[in-house]
Amino acid sequence: MDDRKTSEGSFKQARVRILVLAVIIAVGLSAGISRLFYLQVFRNNDLSKIAVRQHQKTVALEPLRGTIYDRKGRVLAVNLDVESVYAVPSEIGDAREAAKRLSRFINEDWRILEKKLKSDKGFVWLARKIDPNIAIKIKNEIKNEDLEGIGFIKESKRFYPKKELFGHLIGFAGLDNTGLSGIEARYDEFLKGEDGFIILERDARGSHIFPSSGYKPPVKGKDIVLTIDESIQYICERELDKAIQKTHAKSGMVIGMDPKTGEILAMAVKPSFNPNEFIKYAPAEWRNRIVSDPYEPGSTLKVIVASAALEDKVASPSEPMFFGEDKIDIDGEIIHDTVREKGRLSFRDVIKRSSNVGAVRIGMRLGKERLYSHLKSFGFGDRTDIDISGESRGILRQTREWSKRSIGSVSLGQEIAVTPIQLITAVSSVANNGWMMKPFVVSEIRDEDKIVRKVYPEIKKRVLSAETAAEMTRILTSVVEAGGTGEKAAIDGYRVAGKTGTAQKIDLKTGLYSDRYFISSFIGYAPAEDPQIALLVVVDSPEGLAWGGSVAAPVFKNIAEDVLLYMNAPSTNEERILMVKRE
Amino acid sequence: MLDIKQIYNFEWKFLGIILLISGIGILTIFSATYGFAVHATPYYQKQLYWIAIGLMFLFIAAAIDYHTIIKYAYVIYAVTIILLIAVLIKGRTGLGAQRWLSLGFFSFQPSELAKIAMIVLLARYFSDKKVKAGFGMKDLILPAALLLIPLGLILKQPDLGTALLLSFIFLMIILLAGIRLKAVLATLFVCILTIPFIAHYFWGMLKGYQKNRILAFFDPEMDPQGIGYHIIQSKIAIGSGGLFGKGLLQGTQNKLKFIPEKHTDFIFSVFAEEWGFIGALVLLSIYLVLILWGITIAYKAKDRSGALLAAGVVCMLSFYLIVNVGMTTGIMPVVGIPLPLMSYGGTSIITTMVALGLLINVKMRRLLLFY
Repeated sequence: MDDRKTSEGSFKQARVRILVLAVIIAVGLSAGISRLFYLQVFRNNDLSKIAVRQHQKTVALEPLRGTIYDRKGRVLAVNLDVESVYAVPSEIGDAREAAKRLSRFINEDWRILEKKLKSDKGFVWLARKIDPNIAIKIKNEIKNEDLEGIGFIKESKRFYPKKELFGHLIGFAGLDNTGLSGIEARYDEFLKGEDGFIILERDARGSHIFPSSGYKPPVKGKDIVLTIDESIQYICERELDKAIQKTHAKSGMVIGMDPKTGEILAMAVKPSFNPNEFIKYAPAEWRNRIVSDPYEPGSTLKVIVASAALEDKVASPSEPMFFGEDKIDIDGEIIHDTVREKGRLSFRDVIKRSSNVGAVRIGMRLGKERLYSHLKSFGFGDRTDIDISGESRGILRQTREWSKRSIGSVSLGQEIAVTPIQLITAVSSVANNGWMMKPFVVSEIRDEDKIVRKVYPEIKKRVLSAETAAEMTRILTSVVEAGGTGEKAAIDGYRVAGKTGTAQKIDLKTGLYSDRYFISSFIGYAPAEDPQIALLVVVDSPEGLAWGGSVAAPVFKNIAEDVLLYMNAPSTNEERILMVKRE
Repeated sequence: MLDIKQIYNFEWKFLGIILLISGIGILTIFSATYGFAVHATPYYQKQLYWIAIGLMFLFIAAAIDYHTIIKYAYVIYAVTIILLIAVLIKGRTGLGAQRWLSLGFFSFQPSELAKIAMIVLLARYFSDKKVKAGFGMKDLILPAALLLIPLGLILKQPDLGTALLLSFIFLMIILLAGIRLKAVLATLFVCILTIPFIAHYFWGMLKGYQKNRILAFFDPEMDPQGIGYHIIQSKIAIGSGGLFGKGLLQGTQNKLKFIPEKHTDFIFSVFAEEWGFIGALVLLSIYLVLILWGITIAYKAKDRSGALLAAGVVCMLSFYLIVNVGMTTGIMPVVGIPLPLMSYGGTSIITTMVALGLLINVKMRRLLLFY
């Protein structure tokens, strides 16, 4: 009995101690639950992110780039279906063997390929947008040798069917379908479309990749319609090429504009480059020099100086401005004339014969302030805001920076640098009754058949009165007539207005004007009474006779002749002149 | 020995809880092995068979009067020791450890039997001895020696999880049996003195992967692709489950095989990812009901041996539960301990069922004295 009591006593104690066990278990379980709460509630966000990062991979789906058309709907830039090669490294057996075999087709060292094939990623690109013939060869290799883990994905590659013809204007898009130059870069936001994506899930070994529910299809880019006419562009390039070949010139440019609207009809830059193989050219060769490179315009600027003088009525068209001298003295600075004439020349004839002395005198009549403000008004020293990137302002110095000689130099198109686009825009306003139009190259942005944006011609300002513009056109017409410097620009059946320019280039070695290298140019428009096209031809450093009248004027003539024929422009006769005047 | 009348005292509600947890386990195994190769019998189906077999063991363990079982405690113990030696000589190796003894159709782990044997033995020893004011140091020498023999054999396999479990059960039972303060202090003193040696011996005996698991516990980021991988992936899976979970078969970390050992030791990670904190809380509550029920049995047991036997079973279950949740959530080292009734595996299921059978056994015979 005693024994039993003792036992029962300690047994009761044991019961109490069982509660201690309960407490220990409670503490253990509470620790577990607290930890769960910490992980699943406090750290839910960041652990979920880590989880998603581990098993999801978002692959961007490239949209198709928009097509670029000329004004007649001809395709200038399009997408080709090409193939890209990828690998799933976990499915590759012998990475070295596979790398060596693939390197025969893929232009890449086998060691680099091997590294890719051995990577721990679920998916690697081996070669993007490869030549279709190479794709076929690789496919055969895979079939023959049973290479596993290599696959193909269709992607699109930009293709420029006209090759060199529009290299500078359209530019190009890179491997990732981003516009890198020209229209492709400027209008990239419209052309590129919207990326889609697909979410791929991978397991812990990274071996199985399968699409999950996350998918957004890419949206094709918008199409773009240019103001450019491929036929006119072609004519310009053809004639410019001929001239460059004939004169062994360094380079050349032609820009064609509809003076009434500001639409750019052609933009040719030589030497050209093929945007399909842009990699083969230095980046400096990609730029569109028509908007980016200012040059000294020489006598072509006399059009603007003369227009300003007439507008301000500081001289009349028949007033003598040249008196048989061969030089003019501006406060001790001597400017020589190339015109050898014993008698007097009127204001008109100064332009027709391109007399330097006469032009300086016209400029001096205006005075530097008025000359400067007119040049500024014609847009020199400012961007035209054409929709092409990389536009330069040119150089028009303020009058306080001018030297004594400057008024003479500027009147002759020296000490001032203009871009071809500035000059054509300025001269086009003379052609357009004094109204300056804003130049532009993109006329429409389309989404399939719907027009997203339509660009209408925009008047920038009135730079001349209609009377001054009409008088200027008459004077410029005389330049192309017998005895003018631009005789060679004359076209049968049409009246042509224009002005030659022969600018000495600055010799980079001496810093002085070179007597060997010239920029030979011609700017004009036709038909004079109802201009359909304004053209600027610039030929850089032709060999032999470098006069604008002998090198650039014939190019103008050949281009304008074909373009007017192509445009079906009515030929000039008295009846038509009258009719246009009545309008 | 077998008493058919006892069927009326059988704990049917308790059986319901066991089946509920087992059912949750099968569902989770189904999710964890979904999409596995289908040429073999699916794991969840095999687990169903194991549970059926386990229930048979449960009924047997409950049917034989626990006094009879305790009477044969030393015999059971001796058989266990022989099997543990046999496994070291003839055992089959798996996962870097020599644990299995092949019985033709079925592989058997003697270390599982050792758990039951140790509980029964300690219940026997501390109920035989009757002391007035708790056990002293001298009384602990024999049971300590009886513990160290299987402990050494199990560590030799090596099976760290089971060794830790046996030590835990031993400590808890001497605590419950009553131990003098002096003895407590002495035990602590001995422990502190011997820990460096034991730890050193332990460390030398551990396999490389076991060392790595313990190292990884202290610094999982040390090598996230290697040894810390299990812990990090388990934490990511559980944490990304959030409050409400991702839903059955929707656990991305589970489906995409980021969770390691996901149908066995890390099944809790799969469950917590798919059912969230709320689900985990409900599951742990069900386990808690089971444990509280076990504690009540121990508390209300008719005699000392019944109380200690029940307490031993409760210790074993709670140890498994707490250590498993602890290791999957990254607060304890990965020692390869299954989640009772849920982890896939025949031996673990059968051991757990036998232990639960003993618990029911004690409960059923509580009123026997008054018949």
